[in-house]
Amino acid sequence: MSEEKKNHSKEDFEPKIVGFLCNWCSYAGADLAGTSRIQYPPNVRIIRVMCSGSVDSMYILRALLEGADGVFVGGCHPGDCHYIDGNYKARRRMVLLENILGTLGLEKERVWLRWISASEGQKFADTMKEMTEKIRKLGPNPIAKHWNL
Amino acid sequence: MTQKALKIKENDVVGSINDFLRQLLSSGKIQALLVPQSTPSKKVVYPVLIADPKKLHSDIIAPVLPVATATVVSKLTKVQPPSKPIGVVMRACQIRALVELVKLNQASLSNIIIIGVDCPGTFPINVYADFPEKKTPTHFLLETLLKKTKDADQYLRSACHVCKDPIPTNVDIVLGFYGIDLDKELIVEAHSEIGRELIKDIPLEEITDDKAREKAIKDQREMKDKQRAVFLKDKEGMKGIEKIAEFFDKCVNCHNCRQACPICYCKECLFDSAVFDAEAYKFIRRAENKGLFKLPSDALLFQLGRMNHMILSCVQCGLCEQACPNMIPLMEVFIPAAENAQKEFAYHPGKDKAEKIPMIVYREDEFLEVGEK
Ligand code: SF4
Ligand code: SF4
Ligand code: FES
Repeated sequence: MSEEKKNHSKEDFEPKIVGFLCNWCSYAGADLAGTSRIQYPPNVRIIRVMCSGSVDSMYILRALLEGADGVFVGGCHPGDCHYIDGNYKARRRMVLLENILGTLGLEKERVWLRWISASEGQKFADTMKEMTEKIRKLGPNPIAKHWNL
Repeated sequence: MTQKALKIKENDVVGSINDFLRQLLSSGKIQALLVPQSTPSKKVVYPVLIADPKKLHSDIIAPVLPVATATVVSKLTKVQPPSKPIGVVMRACQIRALVELVKLNQASLSNIIIIGVDCPGTFPINVYADFPEKKTPTHFLLETLLKKTKDADQYLRSACHVCKDPIPTNVDIVLGFYGIDLDKELIVEAHSEIGRELIKDIPLEEITDDKAREKAIKDQREMKDKQRAVFLKDKEGMKGIEKIAEFFDKCVNCHNCRQACPICYCKECLFDSAVFDAEAYKFIRRAENKGLFKLPSDALLFQLGRMNHMILSCVQCGLCEQACPNMIPLMEVFIPAAENAQKEFAYHPGKDKAEKIPMIVYREDEFLEVGEK
């Protein structure tokens, strides 16, 4: 099997996921999963942000274009945002971004937004498992091969 | 709405319109008029601010749009709007863009009288400047309008070919030539109180056939809708990173498209900012990531980022495409993207000043499936 093929066969491929986690909820949720020793796949590289509303769509696009296989944004449940409405704004932005990616056929399935609270360590772990599996099925991000962007 | 007819004198449409505009300016009710007027070379037509009626030689039919008139009106009004009314003559797409700029606090309509013109579409600047026919572009266009032929279509910019709506809305006055015998008269409509006040003392006639205009407008809109449906169908296949990467391969990151765009107003665009300045080791790290790294970098990120910033307000005027030095047919991507995104938020850029731009508002009970599953 050629080097190329090996990297692109779906089963043995480990997705690289960039996760933007809100400090007040999902980040604490991830922490809780850790301290409670709940197992979840190590595929997500966590970046702590102050609010899901502070995740500029540009961060997500940049990660995708650089070849991340998935991008995860975790925020507080609706009504629970520390800054009142950051997550509602994040939700609209996600709708717009997914819409644009959809129009251009750029696999919007690779971008996830989920509400996970500080007490939902189990939900965080389950979500990471689910996302890793879904992205593994999707295969590597085809954008990663394109260097001329 | 008040509808009147302006008699065309001596078969001179452009001259008769200018007489009308001069009367408007001489009335003392407005202190200046922004009109499209030819430069001495006659190669191009710019928005020109006229203070002296004697200097007014506008060509509002000239089929060329070198710069966004909406941006010009923003420039005129952003620091401080005029203290007495000024009139601005604009095409439909530019009025829509102006409405968006007002919502974005980049322009003011205070003391701005909008005079909309029915738009037959525009030609690329260079086609206009070195027009291949024996007549001037304006006369060529007038003839095709009079004979109701589609001869001018071959020269239209692609954006104009599939124009969202060539009939001006949100106006004080309309100068219209759809649904009228242009060799005899031109329609003057007052859509607002101030519009009525302005045309009140100018000698105008009663309209001969008011049903004809309604029908002509409907026909014009239907024709554009049809053409745009064909265009959208045609571009449906523009999907996937292979095609998108190839489409933007000629993009050299000059940012002219953004410069020409009436909606892109940021004082400092993110893509010109220090965000993209980095230490050499970071470039090398990016090269190591994929094994190699093209410079200038982030051309596609610029395209997607810009789209993400302006697409909900995109009025599809196509000035980005006209500005591209490498002739990338940007509308093939921006029109489908605008249509889809605006549909998602049920948003109509330029339609209603009171309609809020989707990214500054939200509802708690919307898009509930996003974030849950
Ligand atoms: S986009 Fe429409 S309104 Fe704008 S110049 Fe073209 S035809 Fe006229
Ligand atoms: S004008 Fe053309 S080449 Fe320049 S940045 Fe825009 S798309 Fe790229
Ligand atoms: S603080 Fe968590 S989403 Fe705003």
